[in-house]
Amino acid sequence: MSPAFLNLIETVLNGLMTGVMYSLVALGFVLIFKASGIFNFAQGVMALFAALTLVGLQTGQIPFSHLINAVFGTDIHNWGDGMPAVFAVIGTMFVMIALAFLVQKFVLRHLVNQEPIILFMATIGLAFFLEGLGDLMWGSDVKVLDVGVPSGGSFWWEDVTREWAAEGSDYYGMYIDKLDVVAAIVAIVLVAALTLFSQYTKMGRALRAVADDHQAALSVGISLHTIWLVVWSIAGFVALVAGIMWGAKSGVQFSLSLIALKALPVLILGGFTSIPGAIVGGLIIGVGEKLAELYIGPLVGGAIENWFAYMVALAFLLFRPQGLFGERIIERV
Amino acid sequence: MNAHVQRVGTAAAPAPGEVLLSVDNVSLSFGGVKAIEDVSFDIRKGEIRAIIGPNGAGKTSMLNVINGFYHPQQGTITFKGRVRQAMRPHEAAVSGIARTFQNIALFKGMSTLDNIMTGRGMKMKRNLFWQALWAGPAEREELEHREAVEKVIDFLEIEHIRRTPVGSLPYGLQKRVELGRALAAEPDLLLLDEPMAGMNLEEKEDMSRFVLDVNEQYGTTIALIEHDMGVVMDLSDRVVVLDYGKKIADGTPDEVRNSQDVIDAYLGVPHE
Repeated sequence: MSPAFLNLIETVLNGLMTGVMYSLVALGFVLIFKASGIFNFAQGVMALFAALTLVGLQTGQIPFSHLINAVFGTDIHNWGDGMPAVFAVIGTMFVMIALAFLVQKFVLRHLVNQEPIILFMATIGLAFFLEGLGDLMWGSDVKVLDVGVPSGGSFWWEDVTREWAAEGSDYYGMYIDKLDVVAAIVAIVLVAALTLFSQYTKMGRALRAVADDHQAALSVGISLHTIWLVVWSIAGFVALVAGIMWGAKSGVQFSLSLIALKALPVLILGGFTSIPGAIVGGLIIGVGEKLAELYIGPLVGGAIENWFAYMVALAFLLFRPQGLFGERIIERV
Repeated sequence: MNAHVQRVGTAAAPAPGEVLLSVDNVSLSFGGVKAIEDVSFDIRKGEIRAIIGPNGAGKTSMLNVINGFYHPQQGTITFKGRVRQAMRPHEAAVSGIARTFQNIALFKGMSTLDNIMTGRGMKMKRNLFWQALWAGPAEREELEHREAVEKVIDFLEIEHIRRTPVGSLPYGLQKRVELGRALAAEPDLLLLDEPMAGMNLEEKEDMSRFVLDVNEQYGTTIALIEHDMGVVMDLSDRVVVLDYGKKIADGTPDEVRNSQDVIDAYLGVPHE
């Protein structure tokens, strides 16, 4: 095989795996949007908050330590040596469930039957609040997240692919990050688990029922508040997974919340109401931007990756606003 | 819920008499618009009670009040001997009121089976943890309820569309699935909002038969809104007539048919 062709394969593979990372974020949006019609602007910040909490628990940081020190003149930072990754993940999950409960109790409960735009504004407020809370609780320094997920290039894959190149060429082999592979596997397991849950359990059925028709769901005795609590908890869990993967990849820093912006084109492509759409949309965006960088990049001076996704989204908004898998909205007039 | 299963065997409905639900001096308005004005009537156990009236008479609003979607500004609702407080709609369902909607409100993306299973939802007790594992007790419970749902499916003769997403079904069948979902909850009171609207004659006859069978075999008390007077007169034990939010007649089909107020309401009164 020629090096050019191998380059193409490498680009596609890396694109697919980047795409999976986008899908992870987009998935959280879709879950909440389907069940409650709320576009949750805070999803990206939830991922950041989850990652911050995870690192904080794992390294044994005392929450609000800066604030406490400033007010009481103390000098506390840590309690002991923290806890193993497994417990920290479980602890963070409880924090995310508590967060879902508080959001439900103090925000959404009071906004039932309001216009979608008002709910959207509320989630923007929530995003700013969470970002500030995360800063106050855990500090704003860039943190290293290490929960034992392997990372770095795979030498084995490099060796294998070097053999594929034509004899005598100076091909070095493909670079694939082990972390990306793990992320892809985690995403597949996550989607499979969510699908099974929603297809074969009472709660899953209730979730689908609420997504389909609020009024009918109420008439068979489904409590919207309970469902929203469950949905926000699941979205919190998805945010945690996304936070772990992105945090392990690029460090836990506040710019992490901006990955939510990358999820937007994914959603526009895949449709806001479709879980498969979020996955396929993520993959298309991931592969698309890498390929564009490889082939179109040199013509325009590179850095195409940063805006390619948004151009695709723009094209979709013009020609197919409901996305690839979204339900077409037909207004009766 | 076991009482229901036993009742299937005994073909006779309990003799009407005891009041199941009573509506007393209920008024409901939206801003300045009075949807219901000082209406009182009762629904007795085991009867089929029709609510009729011209368009905009407040019939559906009345069902929404009974069902907890709307909270009346004045008046009380007494259900099973207890005066009801303002409640959330899902609590009405839990207390034993099931309903169907004028414009079918099914879960369109889900299969017939899943739609009817949602009707069993509040009878399923296993918590989220067990369901997440879908193990042991939760699995057994799921199967038990599947059996109850299969009975409803047999009863309504919709075996052949068990796995079909309901969104793709013809209108008449969708109405039947919606009835099935309400039946699966084994309600004490079943509210039917125009169960035969938009149906052809044959479908109407089928639906009438189901309504009667539900009432006779399961002993379920039924309140229905319907525009087809033939159907109403054939099916119902007693009829309450609303016009512009006010009650203008209440009695047996024959009494109502001969009431001058009712005739005026439907045909209009000539201007003097």
